[in-house]
Amino acid sequence: MWRVLTSYAVPLAGVALVTWLTSAMLAQWGLASAALLFLLPVLLGAARGGLGQGLVTALAGAAAYNFFLLPPYFSFRVHGPDHAVSVLVLVLVALVTSRLATRLRAREEEALARASASEELAQISALLAKGTPVDAFSRARDFVAGHYGPLHLGGEEDGFSSLDQAAAAWAMHNGDATGHGTAVMAAAEWSFLPLAPKGRGTHALMALARPEDGHTRPLGEIEHLQQVALLLGQGRDRIALEEERHARETFAESDRLRRTFLASLAHDFRTPLTVMTGQLEALAARSDEAREALAAARRLERTMSDLIAAARIEEGSLRPQCESLDLVDAADAACAAAVMPGGIELGHAIPADLPFVRADAVMLHHVLINLIDNALGYATSRVMLGAQAQGGEVTLWVEDDGPGVPPAERTRIFERFARIEGGDRAQGSGLGLAIVKGFAEAMGMQVSIEESPLGGARFTLWMKGEA
Amino acid sequence: MNRVLVVDDEPAILRLLGAVLARGGYEGVSAPTAAAAMAALRHGGLAAAILDLGLPDRDGLELIPMLRGANVPVIVLSAREDVGEKVAALDLGASDYITKPFDGEELLARLRVALRQAGVAAPREVLAYGALRIDTARHEASLDGRALTLPPKEFAVLQALVEAGGRILTHAALLEKVWGKAHVGDVEYLRVAIRALRLKIEADPAHPRLIRNEPGIGYRLMES
Repeated sequence: MWRVLTSYAVPLAGVALVTWLTSAMLAQWGLASAALLFLLPVLLGAARGGLGQGLVTALAGAAAYNFFLLPPYFSFRVHGPDHAVSVLVLVLVALVTSRLATRLRAREEEALARASASEELAQISALLAKGTPVDAFSRARDFVAGHYGPLHLGGEEDGFSSLDQAAAAWAMHNGDATGHGTAVMAAAEWSFLPLAPKGRGTHALMALARPEDGHTRPLGEIEHLQQVALLLGQGRDRIALEEERHARETFAESDRLRRTFLASLAHDFRTPLTVMTGQLEALAARSDEAREALAAARRLERTMSDLIAAARIEEGSLRPQCESLDLVDAADAACAAAVMPGGIELGHAIPADLPFVRADAVMLHHVLINLIDNALGYATSRVMLGAQAQGGEVTLWVEDDGPGVPPAERTRIFERFARIEGGDRAQGSGLGLAIVKGFAEAMGMQVSIEESPLGGARFTLWMKGEA
Repeated sequence: MNRVLVVDDEPAILRLLGAVLARGGYEGVSAPTAAAAMAALRHGGLAAAILDLGLPDRDGLELIPMLRGANVPVIVLSAREDVGEKVAALDLGASDYITKPFDGEELLARLRVALRQAGVAAPREVLAYGALRIDTARHEASLDGRALTLPPKEFAVLQALVEAGGRILTHAALLEKVWGKAHVGDVEYLRVAIRALRLKIEADPAHPRLIRNEPGIGYRLMES
């Protein structure tokens, strides 16, 4: 109250001063100049205190002008129409001036508020840009809490009332500022502001408590805080991106190490195997023992390839490079690579007009070689590859005329080191069929077993044909 | 006697290859490092080279353009699983690759193909491989004297394979040659053309004997 009174006292003192000055100097200055001088305290009042002070000062000025300067002196009566007009003009000019001054002042205040808001946003941005994302974010968050009081960020536990919880749920769902100071659930104790622009799924929130002095946050401040929340949201996104990048780098590095390890393992195995098979080959023409040793060395090579493949399946580092494939090519190459035991016939009947399929050529080759090897291990006299297309699906099978796989064993057989009794020549790694399954699934194919019309087992790969 | 450069850092492999080459009637020249290989190349008189890619002093891939520059056909000897590396070696100009552990007879057969190819003079109008003949000027192809009617792309694929004369052409190399650089990734174009070609030149298109597939790598022509 006292402050209000003193704020009115200054322009009113101005009126008194102008009254005294003009009364003393009226003879020299004339009435018109004196009237103009009365505008000065009005301007002062309007500029300092707005419309109220401007108006009060204008009325006081007009009254003083009338009372002290216009005849009859020391009376509020107006003598003559020209004097009446001059009082009226003074009041009107004072009114208009004070309105203009008030508006100017309001604009200046608004501009100042905007400048300080953008300066604050710039400060927060600067904080967020400095140092590691985690440190930057925590500094920016402390800065906001320092300016606006206690704040919580999405996902943090706090004891919200049920109204606050409802407001939070609304903000989270709709992406609008909700709660205290806003248009939605204004009775809540907290203001909830989304951390991301509207329309990006479920929103994480910044929650700000009602100011400690109890006043309601004005709408302008809520709008500004919404900008602050978006900035903090960007800071959080940066942390998430950084974590993701770090995880990706770590994964890529360990993936590279694993690949290097497997590649050097393959290299270290193959070099001595090459020497063994090469030398044994020269001797095999003259010695049965050398021929047997050669066959054993070749099996070892297959086992080693299987072990490396199994390791790749195990660690999930398979990245199939699927391309358009002709199964005639695939079957032909696999048959050509088979190590044939004596007395068994291997052939394929792949229709030459089968649709192409999408598969990784090398992985499919490995799958077929393992299926053929497995079939050769159990067959009595024949192993056949066949294929057919049906309704957009292509099936490719490898079958034999051996003892077959009993239904009870048909799932277990794809496990590592599983083996079915009965194959005299079956000397594989015990990994072959597990690799068939692992590789097939990595390429998006299914594999199944049933009885073959030849009497043995039929392993079928189910894949999508290309249109 | 043809001299064949053998580049490998494993002494046991050098000895083995020496024996295999001697069996095939070649003289092996051993080089345990890239530096030794380059010295042998400068010395001259090499008919072909068998090159391991994992060398102690340099990546074996870097030697391929130098050997090709000296008109020495290269067979890459690879112990690595990576198909990408074999494709890179072939695209750099290697004639063929063979994976460890290898079959001696197969290695000698591949070597014969590579040597024969190297002996062939620069582009001629009439090319032949096995029973296939191609007249590039007239755009005519025949098999066992029987004229083949081939659309332009199939003709171009067959011409590329005949020009390579038993060497593997990678998918990318074939696609670039026939369809242009923009299509090196469109393997399905190639599959369609190869299938169509087989219908015209293979006795049994379901059991191709002339155009052979190397899984994940490319195609080569066989003589039979």
